Amino acid sequence: MTTPTAATTTIKSPTGTGGSPARLADDTAQGKTTIAASVVQKIAGIAAREISGVHSMGGGLSRTFGAIRERIPGGGTGASNIAGVQVEVGEKQAAVDLDLVVEYGASIVELARAVRRNVITAVERMTGLEVIEVNIAVNDIHLPDEEDDTPAPAPAVARVE
Amino acid sequence: MTVTVVPEPTAVPLAEQIAAVVTAHPAVAGLHGGIFGAVATYLPGRRLTGVRVGEGDEPVELAVVLHLDQPIPGVVRDLRHVVSGLCGGAAVDITVADVAVPARYAAELAGDGLVDTRP
Repeated sequence: MTTPTAATTTIKSPTGTGGSPARLADDTAQGKTTIAASVVQKIAGIAAREISGVHSMGGGLSRTFGAIRERIPGGGTGASNIAGVQVEVGEKQAAVDLDLVVEYGASIVELARAVRRNVITAVERMTGLEVIEVNIAVNDIHLPDEEDDTPAPAPAVARVE
Repeated sequence: MTVTVVPEPTAVPLAEQIAAVVTAHPAVAGLHGGIFGAVATYLPGRRLTGVRVGEGDEPVELAVVLHLDQPIPGVVRDLRHVVSGLCGGAAVDITVADVAVPARYAAELAGDGLVDTRP
């Protein structure tokens, strides 16, 4: 597992990358535009949650790492507080990794496709960055009878005294 | 006899003019210190975060927090146009450091249980 980049990386990529929508970087003579990773994270997080069937985000290692990273000074520069979304942002392109918990009953293949489509549309529309990939990890499935706020089962009463 | 020294009425510093123009844009939620907090102007008595006017050929630096109600490239273009106009056509480097998320999403995005305790 790679460590998500905390701050925005500014990649000087060669210009003219085929048919990519160079909507952001076409004004370099007048100054450059940098979009922070947390911007892309938030947009991707909102777009993923818009799809019904996504129960929550994060899970497994990413949640644990998120919790740890928040306690490291400087580790939380805008990038750690969005559960389940890791991004890499360059000058023209962005890559997104998502960790999902899905509702039981949703077709995971269809759901992942819809999430990917919505995230790509939202990030490209809002930031002008080309999304090169959206990797989706389904970490857990939420069962209908599984209450969110149920505390962990109380330790069984000792049978012997 | 007392001599009162009346300070010359100084013009509003350029950085403050830029800050005023930028924050007047409807899509701008506020100014930001940039990714490393280095985008700032040191004025007498205070520090103006989010605007840095370079010397000579250096670009003007701007770091903003935007609302998510319209696409970022358009907003950035507007800001660059208006700030560049104020600074005599200088290059303007703009960092979108963060976005202001509508309240209904904010709690969700932060995630509920940060530590997954399930096996």
